Amino acid sequence: MMKSALRALSADHAAAWWMLVPALVFTFTLAVYPVIASFILSLYRIILSMPALGEPFVGLENYAELLRDPTARQAFLVTAGFVALSTTLELILGLCIALVIHAQFPGRGWVRAAALIPWVIPTAVASQMWRYIFNDQYGLANLLLFGDRVAEYVPWFASPGVAFLIMVLADVWKTSSFAALLILAGLQLIPDELYEAARIDGAGLWQRFWHITLPLLRPALLLALLFRTMDSFRVFDLAFVMTQGGPGDATQVLQLYGYKAMFTEGRMGYGSAVSVSVFLAIFFLSLLYIRAIGSRLLERNA
Amino acid sequence: MTWWSRDPSHRTGAAPIAAALICALAVVTGAIAADRADTSGEPLKPVTLRFVSWKADHPRAWDEAFARFADSHPHISIVRELAPHSSTAYHDLLTQKLKNRDATVDLFFMDIIWVPEFASAGWALPLDDLFSPEEQEHFLPAAMETGRYGGHVYGVPSRIDSGMLFYRADLLAKYGFAPPRTWAELITQAESITRGERTLHPALRGYSGQFKQYEGLVCSMMEFVGGYGGHLMTPDLRHSLLSTPATLAAVEFVRDQIIGHIASRAVLTYQEPESVVPFIQGNAVFHRNWPYTWEVANDPRRSKIAGKVGVVPLPRMAADRPPTTALGGWLYAISPFSRHQREAWDFIRFISSAPLQRHFALAAGIAPSRAAVLQDEQVLEANPHFRAQLAMFHGATSRPRTPLYPAISNILQRYFSRTLAYRDVNLRAEAERADAQIDRLLEIGRSAR
Repeated sequence: MMKSALRALSADHAAAWWMLVPALVFTFTLAVYPVIASFILSLYRIILSMPALGEPFVGLENYAELLRDPTARQAFLVTAGFVALSTTLELILGLCIALVIHAQFPGRGWVRAAALIPWVIPTAVASQMWRYIFNDQYGLANLLLFGDRVAEYVPWFASPGVAFLIMVLADVWKTSSFAALLILAGLQLIPDELYEAARIDGAGLWQRFWHITLPLLRPALLLALLFRTMDSFRVFDLAFVMTQGGPGDATQVLQLYGYKAMFTEGRMGYGSAVSVSVFLAIFFLSLLYIRAIGSRLLERNA
Repeated sequence: MTWWSRDPSHRTGAAPIAAALICALAVVTGAIAADRADTSGEPLKPVTLRFVSWKADHPRAWDEAFARFADSHPHISIVRELAPHSSTAYHDLLTQKLKNRDATVDLFFMDIIWVPEFASAGWALPLDDLFSPEEQEHFLPAAMETGRYGGHVYGVPSRIDSGMLFYRADLLAKYGFAPPRTWAELITQAESITRGERTLHPALRGYSGQFKQYEGLVCSMMEFVGGYGGHLMTPDLRHSLLSTPATLAAVEFVRDQIIGHIASRAVLTYQEPESVVPFIQGNAVFHRNWPYTWEVANDPRRSKIAGKVGVVPLPRMAADRPPTTALGGWLYAISPFSRHQREAWDFIRFISSAPLQRHFALAAGIAPSRAAVLQDEQVLEANPHFRAQLAMFHGATSRPRTPLYPAISNILQRYFSRTLAYRDVNLRAEAERADAQIDRLLEIGRSAR
């Protein structure tokens, strides 16, 4: 009896493991292996254009170099600024969109679908579109502001600060609806009874939002924050398409710097070190967030 | 970025987005050829060559050239693999294939700035055995030099290319000016013409050029540095010279007297295709660009100023200083990983032959790299500016010729862009920082020897 039960249990286990295999293989080849491979590469000095240098193992030298590199520091600051600004704006705007598409009104399905369109457009295409809009010679922004007074047209991308803000704007336009989607899911979990009870107690619209919606939305907001932070930290295509990092490195984000090191300069080791540090930054940020989210969820369940 | 689309409507197509995402295949010749045939023994077995190039700006001139090749070499068919217009994006895509020893690339266009890198990395086949010294003698020595590195030849020059000054001949005549010989003259002329035209034409600016953070910025700035008698690096390529007085003066000149003065600050966002637009729209008096601009500016379908354009060598910084210009150009090169190197060489010999260079000069305005074709009367009649171009070409400065150039270029681009775009940076500190970064890189590069 006992024996056969054990056997059945271990057979179950084996079956479970077999079922996990595809997922494990998938995760390993697509997520774990590249990270490990990048890390190993980052321990070597590899310059593709100079095979005569060999490929010496240099330990953490690339990382030491990275810490001293003023260009990398600048790229880190640009990336951090981008993450902070775009994520904040996306959460605020996402919340607004979610509240709108959560409300009952005719044609809501269409509005919901429409709100998602920016998110569905590939980033490269969206970046190109924003580049058009702020073009100094034929851009929509200048046309709307100045009409045919061509002499007054503003070269938006020529100013470092403005170029950076356009990059933030393009990201906010594109991914606020993704944040909205996550927040909408959270909104739908809030039972209507709470609102009814509050209304009976005489709570106004603002009070209901402040005391019911916002606290109960916290997990969804944190989830959106996590996703958006992780995603925007590895921003690449916006800068690559719109500005190539210019002017004066004002839009050079870390991933673009890593790309240039690897694919333009052929400095595989150094470029890998940049990528790995982006990975580490995202990893630790996520850990931080997950702890926060986890404890919130526990609080709610308790 | 030494060479660009002649068609300004491609300006967005020039976006490097294409580099990472798209690589279109265009079957050029109709010939059907059995793929992957190893023909080392039998020359007439059908062979398909893959040729990485940019999208031709004069498609008809190229189609005709390929058709002629198909007629004379029926067993070789050419598949053109289109890479992005931007030299850097093109480079990133091509080197990705070469570094993987991809046998699907047989031959490619090579920017002259990549020669040391490709030679050192083993990404271009040395042509010494194929390209006989007698054949080499037909090309301009300075053009041949662009394809040579460490005593070997890696590419066949497809054209001669260096920065030139284009101007509005009609406006200069109206105000009684001769084409400027110095930058001081250019600024005076630009200011008085834009002042004079202000009521009629408020959008008219004095100058348009390329100052975006990209490869072309190095070319633009190198011309000013040379104008002050300076250099980007020591001749032995051991030290960067950005913090020397001549180089600092060049940056100050461009920052204080060109950008935001005779030129709109928009030039900080311009590569070649964007920069030519104000000129051919009639909104700039002077324009610095590569020689192909002659064709663009005189094409009535694209340009509002066709027939009103003049071209001269770039101005000097002072009358007693030599003129300077950046050297550009593209070479035909063969991949060492190609399985059809002999056929690839047949193609290169054909496409760079005298009749074909003549064809490209007449049909596409491409300045020949063969001395005899460049002196051909019919060619000169169709392209009177080739004479000035040849004169400029001989004095042209090449960008630092080291296998580490791509990395050095990125530092240079960053330095120049920062010092031009931010008005309040400490110029000397930035220069010293960039010098240190470049010197450090060169030191790593030397560590093997």
